Amino acid sequence: MEGMEKWTNQLQQWLYQVEHWVHQTPASSLYVAIGVIFFTPLILLLISLFRRTKSNTIVLAGLTGSGKTTLFYQLRDGSPHLGTATSMEPNEGSFMLHSEFSKRGKIKPVHVVDVPGHSRLRPNLDKYLPQTAGLIFVVDAVEFLPNCRATAEYLYDILAKASLVKRKIHVLIVCNKTDKVTAHTKEFIRKQLEKEMDKLRASRTAISDADIANEFTLGVTGEAFTFSQCHNKVTIAEASGLTGDIAQIEQFIREHVKP
Amino acid sequence: MLEQLLIFTRGGLILWTCKELGNALKGSPIDTLIRSCLLEERSGDTSYNYDAPGVAYTLKWTFHNELGLIFVAVYQRILHLLYVDELLSMVKREFSQIYDPKRTVYNDFDDIFRQLQKEAEVRAEEMKKSKQVGKPVSNFSRRQGQATVQKAGSDGGSKQKDGAPAKDGGNGDSAKGRKLENGYSNGIGIEESVAAGVVKNINNGSSENGAFDVNKLQKLRSKGGKKTDTVNSVSKAEPKKKVSKKKRVWDDSSPASKLDFTDPVDERGDENIAVIADQGESMMDKEEIFSSESEDEDDDSEKETKDSAKKKGWFSSMFQSIAGKAYLEKSDLEPALKALKDRLMTKNVAEEIAEKLCESVAASLVGKKQASFTRISSTVQTAMEEALVRILTPRRSIDILRDVHVVKEQGKPYVVVFVGVNGVGKSTNLAKVAYWLLQHKISVMMAACDTFRSGAVEQLRTHARRLQIPIFEKGYEKDPAVVAKEAIQEATHNGSEVVLVDTAGRMQDNEPLMRALSKLINLNNPDLVLFVGEALVGNDAVDQLSKFNQKLADLSTSSNARLIDGILLTKFDTIDDKVGAALSMVYISGAPVMFVGCGQSYTDLKKLNVKSIVKTLLK
Repeated sequence: MEGMEKWTNQLQQWLYQVEHWVHQTPASSLYVAIGVIFFTPLILLLISLFRRTKSNTIVLAGLTGSGKTTLFYQLRDGSPHLGTATSMEPNEGSFMLHSEFSKRGKIKPVHVVDVPGHSRLRPNLDKYLPQTAGLIFVVDAVEFLPNCRATAEYLYDILAKASLVKRKIHVLIVCNKTDKVTAHTKEFIRKQLEKEMDKLRASRTAISDADIANEFTLGVTGEAFTFSQCHNKVTIAEASGLTGDIAQIEQFIREHVKP
Repeated sequence: MLEQLLIFTRGGLILWTCKELGNALKGSPIDTLIRSCLLEERSGDTSYNYDAPGVAYTLKWTFHNELGLIFVAVYQRILHLLYVDELLSMVKREFSQIYDPKRTVYNDFDDIFRQLQKEAEVRAEEMKKSKQVGKPVSNFSRRQGQATVQKAGSDGGSKQKDGAPAKDGGNGDSAKGRKLENGYSNGIGIEESVAAGVVKNINNGSSENGAFDVNKLQKLRSKGGKKTDTVNSVSKAEPKKKVSKKKRVWDDSSPASKLDFTDPVDERGDENIAVIADQGESMMDKEEIFSSESEDEDDDSEKETKDSAKKKGWFSSMFQSIAGKAYLEKSDLEPALKALKDRLMTKNVAEEIAEKLCESVAASLVGKKQASFTRISSTVQTAMEEALVRILTPRRSIDILRDVHVVKEQGKPYVVVFVGVNGVGKSTNLAKVAYWLLQHKISVMMAACDTFRSGAVEQLRTHARRLQIPIFEKGYEKDPAVVAKEAIQEATHNGSEVVLVDTAGRMQDNEPLMRALSKLINLNNPDLVLFVGEALVGNDAVDQLSKFNQKLADLSTSSNARLIDGILLTKFDTIDDKVGAALSMVYISGAPVMFVGCGQSYTDLKKLNVKSIVKTLLK
């Protein structure tokens, strides 16, 4: 009982002291103190929010055998080394582009992810989409026609994903292996892809919702499908992973990951 | 001599190849190995055979799971190199010492490799000499490394396993033949395999086993026969007591009572069969609402299995899980894998498949560093879950509607052939698929190529009438291949988009029937060969599928043999959670499950929900 009384007494004393101090200090400085206490966390929150939306990940996707891993190592080291085999796991790396190595100075490193293209490993792509700033879809320009349908299906699935469309992520379609003589031109590939995707649009919308996870339907109904109808920007470029002709890719990367 | 030895990362970058063995590999054996073996969860196999026009390679591999490296050795199949496994493990040891994730060039490894290769060859020579002298097995095991001793044990075990019923498909036989080949530490009776001309000897070995087994089977059958005789004699005694049925006498006198029990109206058949109204959406089109079991249930079952383990083991594993430093050894994984394998087998997964899966998961976990605060069993569980999802995810698109559209543009009908053993539900599920296609505004035609079973054509006729679709039939006792061909021509004429071909059920061992089936497929070149299997099947699923595939491959006339393209799993509503048949079938054939039949009405056709199946399997 005595202890309790002591506590209450002490509490009352403290309260009295605080009141006294509050009355003593001038009003303005008091308000400033309160303002600082409230606004600092608010400002920090806003800053962190802005930082989060600005991602610097570039994702390389495409069918198996299209040359993603080669391009990854070209971007990183400037050479494809001894060659590649079918990837079983994604390749991730945060680095400065090899060509920009000479430009020293404060260049922000790029986070590039090469996702395996084998159909059994497709779920890996969904892990990296939320943080993507730009997606590079690699197409094999030499073996294009036999794989045209599979390429179009994969591209359709990617372009219809909600996380891509909502954030208007720029997709660059790269026709790889252009150093080979039998490689198709990018115009040809674009036309073929647009045709295939138009057909896919017809059959995919015929299937009900339970079948696929396409959250958006592409294109405008009644018109033939073109890439310009997509909500997010889609462009086409050419490249060659083996010889190192990747200027257009690097330009794309630099556009989206500001140095 | 080796053709090539490669070291590459799991991400796909080749780190080192031997420059001395400069032969460029013909074809693409490495990529094929990865796609058909390692990604198919067959990494527990000992070797892989690659055939391309002009070459026949054998590939052997080993993993370094901690660093994420894969070591592959390629050599010609006719050369029987004994030292490859040992060389691979030595290379793995040496390379992991100089490996640095940032480095991509390892030219200094060339010298080390040359040394290792010489060592390995020398040892192989010694082994050959001592084997010819006939020294006992123990000497070999002492001279070789630890890994090979384990192999000796496992090969001894596998040899005994071969004595068991040799109902292996083609895959099983050749895999075991290879195991015999690799068992160089077993001196007994394998000296023949050391010489060249291995192929003949594999056949000899398996046929020996086969002969042995036929004898065994005959003995078993006679024993079984005796048993059924005794059962029959017992059951015969009982009916004498209750005389309720009168025995029917078939003599020349006209029958006294009416024997025809059919409804008089149905004799003409046509008017009585009601055309079905729209029975609603097929379950193919409905969202699957599967119950999300709470995670607590999983933990409970895990705790039960742990209690059964020794208390001491639990304590030390807890300690290790907190410390988390240990590298996973095979012996650590053994108990967890065994528990997992038993759990899979209680869910009706074929024993062989469960075994191979566990080996593959073990191969991918051995040598990996255990993350802190994880139990070994949970690491194994996650690895197994990933493996199962990988296997059950289709390798190619199973969008049939899209395929139908593609073929329609070429002006031909899309032909689907339903094959399977007797009584699995081919005709019923054919009708379900027809109903589903009709709901998507696709014109269907049925072809009654089951010309053997009584009532098969009438059954299909009834379905066709109810669904109001055309049916092509030629009655009974006709050649099914010819009937199918004419049906497809008819479909092209009248513009049907899909032709569903029903065939007679046949056992996978029945040679003449399998020949007839393969003739039908060769002659008509269907777009989809759908194997219909019931979910109730147990270990026989492995045998059915592998034999069907083997026969279709062997008896095909063209170079590109048509194999089973898809699986239709039936009677799924009769199994509660014993869903393992789906896994066995997909693993052994590599074909995706396209439909699941879950009832006996037209709407009972679903798609396979991979996540729920994996959850059910590992519950």
